[in-house]
Amino acid sequence: MDASRFISSGLIEAYVSGLATSNEIEELERAMAQYPEVRAAVNDCQLDMEQYIILQAKPAPAFIRQNLLQTIADEETARENGTYVETSEFPEETKQTVYVNSAWRWAAAAAILLLLGSVAMNYIFFGQINDYKGRYEALLSAQNTLASESNLYRARMEQMEHTINIFKDPSMKAVRMPGTKPFPTALATVYWNQQSKEVFLMANNLPAPAANKQYQLWAIVDGKPVDMGVLETTNTTELLHKMKSIENAEMFAITLEKKGGSPAPTLDQMYVAGKAS
Amino acid sequence: MESAFTYTESELVQGLKAKDQKVFGYLYDRYSPALYGVALKVLNDESNANDVLQEVFLKIWRNIDRYDESKGRLFTWMLNITRNSAIDTLRSKAHKMDQKIQDIGDDVHLYTGNLTVHPSVDHLGLSKVLEKLTKEQRIIIDLAYYKGCTQEEISKVLEIPLGTVKTRMRNAIIQLRNLLKLV
Repeated sequence: MDASRFISSGLIEAYVSGLATSNEIEELERAMAQYPEVRAAVNDCQLDMEQYIILQAKPAPAFIRQNLLQTIADEETARENGTYVETSEFPEETKQTVYVNSAWRWAAAAAILLLLGSVAMNYIFFGQINDYKGRYEALLSAQNTLASESNLYRARMEQMEHTINIFKDPSMKAVRMPGTKPFPTALATVYWNQQSKEVFLMANNLPAPAANKQYQLWAIVDGKPVDMGVLETTNTTELLHKMKSIENAEMFAITLEKKGGSPAPTLDQMYVAGKAS
Repeated sequence: MESAFTYTESELVQGLKAKDQKVFGYLYDRYSPALYGVALKVLNDESNANDVLQEVFLKIWRNIDRYDESKGRLFTWMLNITRNSAIDTLRSKAHKMDQKIQDIGDDVHLYTGNLTVHPSVDHLGLSKVLEKLTKEQRIIIDLAYYKGCTQEEISKVLEIPLGTVKTRMRNAIIQLRNLLKLV
């Protein structure tokens, strides 16, 4: 700021009225040292302010003058006698204490309290959050497990329903196929829909085949075996296995064949057989 | 009580430094009404103002060596001591903002009425000045000078934006100075 800016800034008026902050006082005092015209402007303004102050003068009670003169006379006597004790009590000449508005002091105190509270809460909540996080993750994985199990059950349920619906069909015919002589305990059942001609196979009791073998269903039509497809054993939960459809059949039989099935049945590997009518 | 002869300011300072009690008496007679006026305006209480005035003159007497002529006039120095002592007393008496405002309110009544108690000063001049200042101009000057209010406090009391306090103070003092030229 140059001199004229200082003079018009209002800083001088703030200074002589006691309104200036300590920073503003420092700033102006530097300018007074630098610019004689600023110093002169401050002096003029101060003289006028002092005139205003003098206008409000009032004589003090007479006893004060007497007290003072007595006090300093005593002090001087003591000083001459060497008994004077120097009292240093001159704290303020141009001291400017910045008194912060009490509302702000309360606000600051409140802010500090809030901050401390917040730090404590952070500490507590952080621990709790970790705890909750662990529990949440455990719950989440339990929930996932349950959901997948539930899906599994639903799928099975739907399968069962589907199966039951097949059984329920009034045109469904069951062909029981007991075990042959070499495999007396084996048992399987063909469910043959007389309307749609669909054929389903239920393996009631068939020994598990070797890895390279599969059971194959045959229909006997006019004394000749007709391939009805192999029994897929991958889906063990399925009760009914859909096989190929057929119009007419006298008998059904199952043989154990090489994986993928054979064009003709291996007769000595016939496990079960049953008449269709 | 006016002394028959006068001292220049530098003679006063030299006399005080030499612990000349006659010079002290002269200093008291010449400046105590102005300083007492300040203490009274700050404290609004005669008993407190009496204490402050005695304390101030003892400080001046005991600490005259600290007065630096290059930094300003003797009267300015004494006024500063008085204002600071009185405002410290005001604050140590736990005066709250409300009290400060109350005090100014009381002073406003003083302005309009009872101005006949001071035999030694030109009341006509004072009332001429005061009546041409607006109430806000008087109050803003008095809150700052006599109550030591900060800009924030003044902004609150007068219900004006903080940023305008200094501008309003400047306008008030410019108006005051114009009026003083007419006294």
